[in-house]
Amino acid sequence: MDIFTILFWVIAIVLTIISFVKNKKKTLAAMKKSKGMMGNMMSEIIAIIFLIGLVLTFIPPETIKSVLGSANTYVSTVVAALVGSITLIPAFVAFPLVGSLVDAGASIVPAVAFLTTLTMVGIVTFPLEKKEFGTKFTLTRNALSFGFAVVIALTMGVIL
Amino acid sequence: MKAVTIIKKNKLLFLVALAYAVIFIVSPEKATKSVGNSVYYLIEMLQVLPVIFLLTVVIEALVPKELIMRGFGEKSGFKGNLLALLLGSISAGPVYAAFPISKSLLGKGASISNIVIILSSWAVIKVPMLANEAKFLGVNFMAIRWMLTVIAIFIMAYIMGSFVKKKDLPTEASQQGVLEIKEEYCVGCGLCEKLLPDYYEMKDNKAVVKMMPEGKEVAQIVRESVDKCPSKAIAFNMEGNAS
Repeated sequence: MDIFTILFWVIAIVLTIISFVKNKKKTLAAMKKSKGMMGNMMSEIIAIIFLIGLVLTFIPPETIKSVLGSANTYVSTVVAALVGSITLIPAFVAFPLVGSLVDAGASIVPAVAFLTTLTMVGIVTFPLEKKEFGTKFTLTRNALSFGFAVVIALTMGVIL
Repeated sequence: MKAVTIIKKNKLLFLVALAYAVIFIVSPEKATKSVGNSVYYLIEMLQVLPVIFLLTVVIEALVPKELIMRGFGEKSGFKGNLLALLLGSISAGPVYAAFPISKSLLGKGASISNIVIILSSWAVIKVPMLANEAKFLGVNFMAIRWMLTVIAIFIMAYIMGSFVKKKDLPTEASQQGVLEIKEEYCVGCGLCEKLLPDYYEMKDNKAVVKMMPEGKEVAQIVRESVDKCPSKAIAFNMEGNAS
């Protein structure tokens, strides 16, 4: 384990102890709720991780690197952002997925675009959002989010 | 019947398992390699999973969400924006889980900008998830993306606030006195059933309405259960007291 993971562990454990001391009942109730939520996602998490294993075996890192690393960044970024808008996988499993691609040599810019639109732009949840907030709100929010996802990605490419 | 539901619930896992089975027959060598690759990421994941779990629990138990929710009016200004950012960042669950809560905040007078901030930060900034991102993509990556995203969210909120007006939003048009549960938002916590077993019951991990409430007194206790629902999935309109 690297130092930051250990740091997160320490923070999480200390906070949990504080929470227990402050309000045991509430903490236990929260644990039950989180357990249910995570339990529902567990099968998907395991599935995605094993999918990563498959992808890495059949598409060797060199290929990923040449496709996602050297192609025109602007084009690949917009494509990644589009894919992110359409797919609906939990951010939870998206990080290891994207991490594995970056480890294999994929460029960081499309990776960021994908991560951002994945959660912020929702084609699948569009009807639901429209029902609650109306067409104008939903259309504007999703369009702006898409645009900013690309901007954030390109900026990160410059910084990192 | 039961096997079908299990497969349906774990569709992806089932498909992946099937793929592995096929590959094991066709090329055992490649399959073993895939398992090896997966185990590496599985171990990495197990290192952060408990942290994410604990952080979610702590936030849920320690942060008084209702208190934060009170601070988002039209005139709440920058402080309201920060509270909105805070609420979105500490909440767990996919973005569509934020729709009913945002909707109820709109009804209580929250501004469009603040709603955009809640939805966007709910989607991309997750405090428990930061540990996950740092683990797989590095601390620098996480920190820079976090900062850029916050800036982008604020700009977006201001654009949306001046472009979309409240009159552009649809108004709730559900029938009076009808109690309903929006199935897509129900997280199946069972709280409503525990509170009012006469009116709610759980079916396939989702709450359903068992009986329609009648009379003023009953309406009042039902109203309370509506407010207590953690994902704001229950809709109920009392006479002239729509919200």
